Amino acid sequence: MKIKRILIANRGEIAVRIMKTARRMKIETITVKTVLEPNAMYLAHSDIVFDNSEDASEIPVFLNIERLIEIALETKADAIHPGYGFLAENAYFAQKCIDNNITFIGPSPDAIYKMGNKTIARRIALAAGIPMASGSEGNIGNEEEAVTIAEKIGYPVIIKAASGGGGRGMRIVRKSEEMEKMFIIASKEAEKAFNDPSVFIEKYIENPKHIEFQILGDTKGNVIHLGERECSIQRKHQKLLEEAPSCALDDSLRETMGNIAVQISKAVNYSSAGTVEFLLDSDKNFYFMEMNTRIQVEHPVTEIITGIDLIEQQIRVANGESLKYRQSDIKLTGWAIECRINAEDVQAGFAPDPGRIEKLSLPSDPYVRVDTGVQSGSVIVPSYDSMIAKLIITGKDRKDAIRNCKMALDKVWIKGTKTTLPFFRMLVRNQKFQDGTFTTAFIEKDLDKFYLNSEYEEMLAAWLATKLFIEENYNETSINVDFENGKEMSPWLLNKRINQF
Amino acid sequence: MPADKLNIRKLYALSSENRRFCFSQPLKHSIRIGKRDYEVKLKADDKYGTYILWKNRKYPVEIIRSRQNKYEILFNDISYTFTVETPFSLKRMKVLSSGKGKAEKEYLKAPMPGKIIDVLVREGASVLRGEPLVILEAMKMQNEIQSPVNGTVIKVSARANSNVMKDDVLVEIKIS
Repeated sequence: MKIKRILIANRGEIAVRIMKTARRMKIETITVKTVLEPNAMYLAHSDIVFDNSEDASEIPVFLNIERLIEIALETKADAIHPGYGFLAENAYFAQKCIDNNITFIGPSPDAIYKMGNKTIARRIALAAGIPMASGSEGNIGNEEEAVTIAEKIGYPVIIKAASGGGGRGMRIVRKSEEMEKMFIIASKEAEKAFNDPSVFIEKYIENPKHIEFQILGDTKGNVIHLGERECSIQRKHQKLLEEAPSCALDDSLRETMGNIAVQISKAVNYSSAGTVEFLLDSDKNFYFMEMNTRIQVEHPVTEIITGIDLIEQQIRVANGESLKYRQSDIKLTGWAIECRINAEDVQAGFAPDPGRIEKLSLPSDPYVRVDTGVQSGSVIVPSYDSMIAKLIITGKDRKDAIRNCKMALDKVWIKGTKTTLPFFRMLVRNQKFQDGTFTTAFIEKDLDKFYLNSEYEEMLAAWLATKLFIEENYNETSINVDFENGKEMSPWLLNKRINQF
Repeated sequence: MPADKLNIRKLYALSSENRRFCFSQPLKHSIRIGKRDYEVKLKADDKYGTYILWKNRKYPVEIIRSRQNKYEILFNDISYTFTVETPFSLKRMKVLSSGKGKAEKEYLKAPMPGKIIDVLVREGASVLRGEPLVILEAMKMQNEIQSPVNGTVIKVSARANSNVMKDDVLVEIKIS
């Protein structure tokens, strides 16, 4: 192995995830300590911690190309893993690594650039004969042009950021009266998020399923797919739960879609791990949406059903090795579901709820894999994403996985922030989810309540409120808290203390 | 302590959706379901923090806010708001509310701290429930803050490009 030391240009759970594989492969790792998270858990997993907490730069280090290259050179890293988000899909960063003789663990800058620019990706897909939703040929110049093109395609349409991803800069437009306003919002959002205001328009596919294929390629021209993931459980285009495989695909559709995913990857000489995203409509027509040129948050579900460590494959390919798998070697076994436990308030439309994780206890049963970057005492800071942990649940089949999922969710204990747990507790009991007939519109259209609470839970909460009222107003002398460790504190006081942090 | 307080035998916890839970005073440490009493325990330890133990299961609890007789309780990751009333205050409330009817105004508040990206309504505009009124950016996401009611906008306090704290009033709406 030429790669001996990897700089992890990322934080949180993905940094921890990458380091687990690196350690197994006996590769050293370097992490970067930042002023925002000086005590973050990922730092403890690396062999070397580069202290960048005195960096006064406005740009966070994980987005600071020059600084990351400096750190890599200074720490003698021979490779950089970008993780997801931040610079993972930045072609310039990938090129800068190469220019400095540092291996970029990911595809070529050319593939990143072509797939990262959605209008170019559309042209490539069109030329390769890949099925796509009808849309504008390139970027849209102004509101008037947007209205004209949308009329031609037919409403509803979706405005997307050319450099976009993760739902930002995306707006669905149903009537021409809304177009002007939405075009401006989408374009502003795109500029802010991606430094590029260009947007394009596509026919909006109503109520599709989001199906994506995991791709693996090497630098010798071999490309295979590792089956699909279903990611239709989303809100505001952000995925909440993913599973593999999808119950919407049979073997023949899997083969057709998989081959097309491989075909488009080959069109950009794709190497490393990547994801080709499709929309699948109710008549099983599918449309190429985009290709993500990085490791995905939801990669573990694919690892579970294929038994292949995707991070290891990324490192091996970056090291110049050929893929040791052929398409016929790939067998999908069992079922995997990933729940993203985020610090979000499901009662406030999934609004982020950053804060300190006071208590954290996660299941350790054999059917659960937990990928996390936090522990008790960690802080979910507002500047980064709201991820607390990913629960990846395994089952023999989908039904078994859902049953295991129910049990696992009840074993998660988090105090300090509100979380998406009540959402998942509801979801796994929802008939439409169990039937597998849900689409990307599920959260918005099919749910009237975003969370589960059993009929007695509100009564117990009322009991506690009444208890506090009595303690405060009736000056009850006996404090009815049964403290196991002999501490004399009312819950009220305890809470005040917690709030002081 | 005023004598009337000591004579109170019942307390009511009213939820924000007007569900009423009645408890005896002094408070029993059990809750009756059908014909059986189930013991309720409020506990705290280092591993779990504060929790309620009921029917052999632990439920995380937290007191989020308490002001006078109003309590916001986080129970198993869901928050509930109650006002605790005595039989007297409950009676007084009923008299008051029968004269006045329902709340006329709705205050649209910022659900999280963030930056106002855009304000989509003006004063005087009529809005429908679910209509986006303000775009708030927080944690790398732009969030549409929607109208919770049908009504008319009477005041817009949100200004584009300004920062807001959680619970800052963004828009006042007269409910129609």
